[in-house]
Amino acid sequence: MSSRSAWLLLAPLLLFMMLFVGQGMFRAVQESLAFGGAEGMLVHYETLFASRSFWAAAGVSVYVALVSSIVSLVIGLVITRTFVRVFAVDTWKLAAWFPMLIPHFVAAYLVLLFFAPAGWAASVLGTMLPPFVQSSAYTGVILTYIWKEVPFVILMLLPVYQELDWRMAEVSRSLGAGRFQTFRHAEWPHAGPVAVETALIMFIFILGAFEIPGLLGVTYPAMLPVLAFDWFYQSGWSERPLAQAMMVLVTAVSLVLAALVLSWVRRGRRRSYA
Amino acid sequence: MRKLLLLLLLAIFVFPVLFLFLKSITFSWRYPDVLPTAFSMRAWEALASEPQLLPAVGMTLFIGAVVVVLNLLLGIPAALALSWVDFRGKVAVETIFFLPILVPVLAIAMGLHITMIRLGIADHPAGVILIHLLPTLPYTIRVLRGGFDRLDPAWMQLGETLGAGVFRRIATIAVPIMAPSLRSAAVLTFVISLSQYVLTAIIGGGRVTTLPLLYYPFFNSADQAVIAAFSVLFAVLPLLFLFVWETVSSAAGRLLRP
Repeated sequence: MSSRSAWLLLAPLLLFMMLFVGQGMFRAVQESLAFGGAEGMLVHYETLFASRSFWAAAGVSVYVALVSSIVSLVIGLVITRTFVRVFAVDTWKLAAWFPMLIPHFVAAYLVLLFFAPAGWAASVLGTMLPPFVQSSAYTGVILTYIWKEVPFVILMLLPVYQELDWRMAEVSRSLGAGRFQTFRHAEWPHAGPVAVETALIMFIFILGAFEIPGLLGVTYPAMLPVLAFDWFYQSGWSERPLAQAMMVLVTAVSLVLAALVLSWVRRGRRRSYA
Repeated sequence: MRKLLLLLLLAIFVFPVLFLFLKSITFSWRYPDVLPTAFSMRAWEALASEPQLLPAVGMTLFIGAVVVVLNLLLGIPAALALSWVDFRGKVAVETIFFLPILVPVLAIAMGLHITMIRLGIADHPAGVILIHLLPTLPYTIRVLRGGFDRLDPAWMQLGETLGAGVFRRIATIAVPIMAPSLRSAAVLTFVISLSQYVLTAIIGGGRVTTLPLLYYPFFNSADQAVIAAFSVLFAVLPLLFLFVWETVSSAAGRLLRP
């Protein structure tokens, strides 16, 4: 197939993405700037940086996204490498992927059902639990994300581990390498790039997702998307530029992070196959 | 030991949903009862008598089905090109296709709101369908591309050499090999569309009522059993979708295969 017919096949989706995503990002930036007023063009960003709720939201969002994605990655990695052979059987694989079929907000309700002060865990333990699910530590939100994201990590890592050449691990062991060294040199060069990419996808997703903190979050500090949604509709659209400015910042940070991580992953990939 | 660990794992992944179902058919099961004491269909009756529920189910299924069809129409040609052809600028194209998972879709939706209003598709299912394409397309591309990677172009050429026409080659070689990927992409797309609250709320303006828009106000209501029943509904819809997909595709398979 020629590259001209390839471009023809790509055209509809490419056009949609560029028009839609491009227009969305362009308008968001435009509405976050102030034109023709007495103040400078960046006045909304200045207001944002002076806002205590913004910094609190940024802090708690980065904390929740970081903890959730790292814990999910570690648990998912351990499960995948322990059960690679078991997951060759479809039934087990589907069972591990099951939470992916459940919407995020239903998962949030599940966490509430089990870990609320008078939830089922409390019944089993015979004593009321402290209200940690909906607290400023965002424990409930993090638990929900872990339950939802571990299957995603397994989904991403399983193909790598199923194609892994285990003879390398055997060689490494017979040369006297310890468990960690074997993992580091026989598995990580293959699994590492996918693992890092998966963590990136989760981190960016959690930074910008409303669904779970919208249910289990607290009013202060709110997570960034919850605050943005609030501002977007507050007092007759007057806070809209602030909401746009905040999400533009999240977008910029996500893009820079993605560029850094993905270029690092690609470099690493070239090195490991060289 | 390994077996035990595996069972524990499955318990954590699958048991909660069964628990949800049990909760929905109990009369009143609360602290400190470890096991339910009385069963009742009360919660399901309450849910069924909610006048907005049935129209919302219809709207959710309609939007989900259209989003799946559009995903396949846009995704199949693009995934085919990415998988089979090496061309200049491939990395750039891939990056553009993955943009919706590299930036928050919420930012794009907020930016598009005014444009959607101007185009007259805000507060309308059409706008909601378009915005649901963003979080779904990157995954469709990824899954379908994996499918095309397994479909060797040489097999299609072999079919041609043996004298099969384009239609027959697609029906007897491409479709059977691609079937699992097509199904995964469709189910994933449907589930993602089913799970959208904030995008639907912004672009639909509260006037396009899908199930998640009803779920959020329900969440803080006192009746736990009703929320549990509502939650079970969300787990049942993807299964229903899968069933319809399998039925339709096996019927189509019988028609296509000579």
